[in-house]
Amino acid sequence: MTTPEVTNLDRKGAPIWGTLIGQLLKALLALAPLLVFMSIFFFAPLTAVVLDSFQGNDGNFTWANYADVFKEPIITAMRTSLALALVSAIVSAIPGAVLAFLIESRGSDRLRQVVASISGVLANTGGVPLAFMFIASLGAEGAATSLLKAIGLDIYSAGFSLFTFGGLVLVYTYFQIPMMVIVFSPAIHGLRKEWNEAARTLGASGRQFWFSVGIPLLFPSFLSALLLLFASAFSAYATARAMTNGTIALVPLMIGNLLDGNVIFDEVNLAKALAVAMIVVTLLAMVPYLIIQRRAQRWQG
Amino acid sequence: MKGLKSRQLPLTIGLILATIFVVLPLGSAAEFSLREPLKNTHGFDNYVWFFEAPDFAKYLGISFGLALASALILLVILVPTVVWLNLGGSKFRGLVEFISLLPLVIPVVALAIGAQTALPDFAQTNEVILAFMYAVLAVPYAYRTMDTGLRSIPLQTIVEAARGLGADWLAVLFKVIIPVIRSTVLSALFMTLALSLGEFTITSLLHWDTFTTWVTTMSQSNILGAIALSVFSLVSVFVLLLVISVFIKPTKSLIISEEN
Repeated sequence: MTTPEVTNLDRKGAPIWGTLIGQLLKALLALAPLLVFMSIFFFAPLTAVVLDSFQGNDGNFTWANYADVFKEPIITAMRTSLALALVSAIVSAIPGAVLAFLIESRGSDRLRQVVASISGVLANTGGVPLAFMFIASLGAEGAATSLLKAIGLDIYSAGFSLFTFGGLVLVYTYFQIPMMVIVFSPAIHGLRKEWNEAARTLGASGRQFWFSVGIPLLFPSFLSALLLLFASAFSAYATARAMTNGTIALVPLMIGNLLDGNVIFDEVNLAKALAVAMIVVTLLAMVPYLIIQRRAQRWQG
Repeated sequence: MKGLKSRQLPLTIGLILATIFVVLPLGSAAEFSLREPLKNTHGFDNYVWFFEAPDFAKYLGISFGLALASALILLVILVPTVVWLNLGGSKFRGLVEFISLLPLVIPVVALAIGAQTALPDFAQTNEVILAFMYAVLAVPYAYRTMDTGLRSIPLQTIVEAARGLGADWLAVLFKVIIPVIRSTVLSALFMTLALSLGEFTITSLLHWDTFTTWVTTMSQSNILGAIALSVFSLVSVFVLLLVISVFIKPTKSLIISEEN
């Protein structure tokens, strides 16, 4: 018989499933579907890209495919992609975090569920439909543009355009802010109510609790969510393709163009080297993410 | 009463701003899609146009089929893992969390190139492969949704209670675990559907045609029609969401909230 207080964390003393070996077998069995699936459809393709990127047309090992990666125009595209990812991540993370905080701390269960589902849909909008939505609202003929004109704000004569770096950042916020809500909400949810109550009992005001306990605890999670947004913006393809039409050079678009064109072996090899360069950038962003998560897990249940 | 109101004010303002942010582009696109420039009026011509387009039903069917297939694939892969993680396998949570996050950060373009070379032959020549690739891309969202949902349920306690009362494992699975996690699993499946229906990158780089790529192709010949299509697809996802959320009742009675 277990006592009602027993939780997952208190289980160490009472293993229900016998020996260590038995537990390992159970673990393998339960994890097998996910691991096998990810190996075939995710890890194998990525390994193939990495290996192929070091192969010449004759099948021998070569560094040659990487020769062009550090030359123009790729180096400029890489810089633009990095800047776009960084700016759009920061611009989206702040309102997303505030919204997640308001909903988690003051919203009902029902509201949280609805917001989670809607965010899931919005985080996955992109491509031509998203481009159309912004052209229809903030394009030269758009509804919001004419509305702003009617109140005396002519954004186009002020130099605004959707088809610039700034415009692309704006469009990215449409799926980045909902993504921030999705990835940041669990951290706020994990802030234990007891800590707020303890701080209150000790005489702290709500403001004092947030400034000396809540925000310092949430900051690492905020940073790691920011890194996720960075990686996802860096990789975005469909929206960038629909919005820029080649006016802004970005690495994912370059890869897409190399693959879409008439297949020349050298170009496919260059595309693979570029893809590996992108993987390296996103993995580098994941290193601080993992370190931060490990620290955050100390207090998150 | 006054205290309650001032507490809710920031939330209300936040929700209003968020609604404007979401609805303004969508509403503008809807207005655009109703324009009939030749008659200088508004009407449903652009909607009639795509409904009557010969390939509309075909590609909508393909996309829905693939979306359902990817949702099923994820169900089979994720439910055992997540249930087990919440039944005492929490040691492995870090590993599973990391693996399930990767498809969100690794560039889809890179995955697409690799899929061209590394996938088995049967997969290269059959569009069902897209269902598997969509499932990979949906893992981060689906895993997160399921794990967050299941963590709020004292699954272990419920299962032990059922075992203690003499239920065998099959009965526990079908009469206890599945009913308890149903709403959580449904919202994860919904997220997978939404992602699959809109996926463009892998689809176009692997040279398959679905509803999304068809919309992109159509936009080159009839912009207003394509805008109408885009609005139609987004709005129908939201309608689907509403319908499903009617069926998802929070399993309130089973959640032992921390406040108690």
